Amino acid sequence: MYSKHTGLDLRRGVTSGISFAFKLFMLVLFLFPFYWLIITSFKTYGESIVFPPTLIPRNFTLAAFEQVFSRLNLWNYLKNSIIVTLSVIIIQTLVGVPAAYALARYSFRGKGVMLALVMAAFMVPTQITFITVYIMMSKLRWLNTLLPQIVPFGASAYGIFLLRQAFMQVPADIIEAARLDNASELKIITRIMLPAARSSLMTVSLFSFVGSWNSYFWPLVMSNSEKVRPLTLAIERLKDQDAGINWPVIMAGNMIMVLPVLVIFLLLSNKIISAVGYRGIK
Amino acid sequence: MAKIEFQNIHKSFGTTKVIENLNLTLEDGKFNVLVGPSGCGKTTLLRIIAGIGPATSGRILLDGVDISNVPPGQRGVAMVFQSYAIYPMMTVRQNIEFGLKNNRVPKAERERRISEVSQIVGLEPYLGRKPSQLSGGQRQRVALARAMVKEPTVFLMDEPLSNLDAKLRAAMRSELVQLHKQLQTTFVYVTHDQVEAMAMGDCIILMDQGRIMQQSDPETMYRDPDNIFTAQFIGTPPTNILGLESESFKLGFRPEAISLSVNPAPDKAFTHRVSILTREMLGAETLYKLRLRNGQEVMARLTDSSLMVGDELYLQVDEENLYFFDSEGNRVRKTLSQQYGAMLERVTRSHES
Repeated sequence: MYSKHTGLDLRRGVTSGISFAFKLFMLVLFLFPFYWLIITSFKTYGESIVFPPTLIPRNFTLAAFEQVFSRLNLWNYLKNSIIVTLSVIIIQTLVGVPAAYALARYSFRGKGVMLALVMAAFMVPTQITFITVYIMMSKLRWLNTLLPQIVPFGASAYGIFLLRQAFMQVPADIIEAARLDNASELKIITRIMLPAARSSLMTVSLFSFVGSWNSYFWPLVMSNSEKVRPLTLAIERLKDQDAGINWPVIMAGNMIMVLPVLVIFLLLSNKIISAVGYRGIK
Repeated sequence: MAKIEFQNIHKSFGTTKVIENLNLTLEDGKFNVLVGPSGCGKTTLLRIIAGIGPATSGRILLDGVDISNVPPGQRGVAMVFQSYAIYPMMTVRQNIEFGLKNNRVPKAERERRISEVSQIVGLEPYLGRKPSQLSGGQRQRVALARAMVKEPTVFLMDEPLSNLDAKLRAAMRSELVQLHKQLQTTFVYVTHDQVEAMAMGDCIILMDQGRIMQQSDPETMYRDPDNIFTAQFIGTPPTNILGLESESFKLGFRPEAISLSVNPAPDKAFTHRVSILTREMLGAETLYKLRLRNGQEVMARLTDSSLMVGDELYLQVDEENLYFFDSEGNRVRKTLSQQYGAMLERVTRSHES
């Protein structure tokens, strides 16, 4: 009896040990690149190319950051990135929320087809559409503006779908109660649906933020002047000005790039996790 | 204060017809109870009044005015949902205030009404709380307060007590009756529980499969049922119905109308020899399942608990407690001596032999 007990305890100990080791391994796997990014940006050029590499910078320096600011008109790129990203989030919300509400809560002719179209849009990769969109943007004479980076992303199929799912979780009784309370449809959306779908809305906004902020290929194709290019393309310019690749400078640029994403993610991580389930009141 | 009239109401969900050509008037100021088994259309009727599940065709009149096309929020009705349907992201106060704000009630008036209503339902200490911080009974009160604060002409309630535990339900039942006395407005209350219907209603509307089986006060519903369905739905155990071979009518009598004795009494209209199959002692009363000579079984509800399984006795029912129904299940209201005396005598004799 006694030995059986300890045997079981031992097995439990081993299992949890393995599980812990696995989690630690995964954590390192994901965090190490970030760590590498951070320390490299604080190294000198010389230290960044020594072998074996150093895990802690010997000479802690901000020289790489200074170079980034001196070599680029960073503010212009930053401004473009911010305008594009905010516009995309705002327009996506303005378009997506009513669309999702209609798809979740109304029955109308062609609803199934429309939902299928949303799902189809969800599945088409941008690489397929960019040539036609480019031609369209060119004909509209928009290539010298930020519009090609904003307008095509005004509606997000993923966002509409996720919000629709969240809206569908709100009990029908609550909406009916609001109608009996003489609430307009707009009021039902703003006072009942959106608070209930807050987590999903945050998630959708965060994904559009990351998508827009990190967008590289699309703005590269859709812009023909530095005036309208975002931060991602500026970081790229840090690379091809020197003969050799100056890793600390590139990493410093990337730090500037990734910092807002990390901050926002840390602030919202709870919301994203709870976006999976809506806690209703019974 | 309002009288509600349904005129030629039809309602179907897709191809399923739930209600066909229904006409019904709910009197002003009454505590009306819509009762019936699930799927009978009682909630559908309530939703038609509220405007949140409009009829497929037909008209609904409120005090003689056709409101069929009036939006739910402008009908002057308030509804308490079975799930309470409280807005989870608003505080208790905001929940109660929401309808008033939407109806542009001035702030001072809103404050006055909220404090009055929250006092009546006992929610004053909880106005700042979120619904998730309330118990089931408190949420129920929020739903009630939210309806009351609008000072509606009609109160609609869809099984509002079914999510409460037995004790709280009994307490709320009498509170709602008191509330009705106080407000004197028209109540329309939906329930599947006949006990609740009998206990609370001034006027009961018993429904089955989209049709109205009987509309009357509780007393009449119990003592004078129009058909077999009513006789069996109201009262527990249900009215005993005996199908009598070779006769085109059916005989009914309530379990509590039965008396059992060792020797047959000569003055009883219906006498039959029975044996006791089961006995359930419930405290004040005892339920006996009895078997008749021809194998049919009936339930008896007596205060006498001294009878035992296997006892052979005479079942007897007074003339005024016997109901007759035709082959369709509809009541035939003629006294025995007028029409069925001879027939019954024959029945009784044949069963005794």
